[in-house]
Amino acid sequence: MVDTVIRKRIEIVIDTPLIPIIINMIKAVDISGWSVIHVDSGGGRDGEWQHDDVTGAAAKSILLAIASDEKAQALVDRIEPILETHRLLLTVGNVQVIRGDKF
Amino acid sequence: MIVDTLTSPIILFFVLGFFAALIKSDLSIPEAFGKAMSIYLMAAIGLKGGIEVAEAGFSVQLAWAALAGLGLSFLLPVPAYFLLVRFGGLKPVDAGAVAAHYGSVSVVTFVTAQEILTGRGLEPAGYMVAIMALMETPAIISGLLLLQGKKAPTPGVPKQSTTKLLHEVFSNGSVILLVGAFLIGMVAGKDGFAPVKPLFDTGFRGVLCLFLLDMGLVAARRLIQSRKLTLPLIVLAIAMPVMNGMIGAALGVAIGLDPGSAAILAVLAASASYIAVPAAMRLAVPEADPGVYLSMSLGITFPFNIIFGITIYAAMVQMML
Repeated sequence: MVDTVIRKRIEIVIDTPLIPIIINMIKAVDISGWSVIHVDSGGGRDGEWQHDDVTGAAAKSILLAIASDEKAQALVDRIEPILETHRLLLTVGNVQVIRGDKF
Repeated sequence: MIVDTLTSPIILFFVLGFFAALIKSDLSIPEAFGKAMSIYLMAAIGLKGGIEVAEAGFSVQLAWAALAGLGLSFLLPVPAYFLLVRFGGLKPVDAGAVAAHYGSVSVVTFVTAQEILTGRGLEPAGYMVAIMALMETPAIISGLLLLQGKKAPTPGVPKQSTTKLLHEVFSNGSVILLVGAFLIGMVAGKDGFAPVKPLFDTGFRGVLCLFLLDMGLVAARRLIQSRKLTLPLIVLAIAMPVMNGMIGAALGVAIGLDPGSAAILAVLAASASYIAVPAAMRLAVPEADPGVYLSMSLGITFPFNIIFGITIYAAMVQMML
């Protein structure tokens, strides 16, 4: 049986042009890895949106990172002040990972 | 004249796409194909413009047109900003972002106008492609200047560096491709272009039709999905391009451009960006609501200009001559 440990999975839905801002924050709290996932379409309080490659105007992505409790909390503290102004959706949940020392 | 425009296959394909999206048809253009068409069209118009400049050489008219284009892009956001605050009821931060869109230009509107005007014997000078590329960015700077002191710094977020923003603007794919293709056209000249002409010339109008079908779908979907448009904003999304087009037409005629070039300068002044500026504004002014500026520029102004505006601005120039 492989041993697993609990880590935090952080997901941020974000307008694609704003990704560098969050990546800088991820680096600042010493989270070593992240992934950017393309989002096709969605909807919310402000209406629906759809990605199109021609204008790229409404492009959204999901930034995904796995981190320890402390690092995840540090990232949440940094992101919280801009959640409203930058129209971000931030979720944090527990996940089980193998090789916990990597996160 | 309006009948000629409305019966052009290019415009009709746009109307078809717009209509299909309005009735929620499942018609769609594969994303990669849409992107490939936009690359093809930008490369083609850049090349053609460069070749024409290589043939005709630099002229005083080109210099005047460049100055006019830069001036329009830099100054048009100013009245737009005040109109958007006073009549549109927008917050300054949103008004500044929207105003920048209305100073910058739409490549698709340009290329459509070029085809429509050429079809009517009003072919614009080749160098107008370069003027269009010049007009992409000053409006962004102007919009940011209008917002100086009006947006509070966000705690924990370092101010966006000007260098990074300028890099974002000047490294934008459409700007690189347009300017690059223009320079390649200038270097290659007519003889160098001949071997690749079948690809970039013969299929151009057909690809433009399909591309406008896609843009019709994109524009109508943006309009349907928006919840941010108010009646004053809808009125301004039509009034501002007409006002800007009139200024562009007057300036084009005043500096002695030929009718086709003056008309396309008016089209450029009237058009609003929905590619380069939204990305730059999202980065520079994240507090501004993209739902407002995208819906206005892409959902209303773009279709208005394609279907009616081009004809109106060409008529303005002909009346002023």
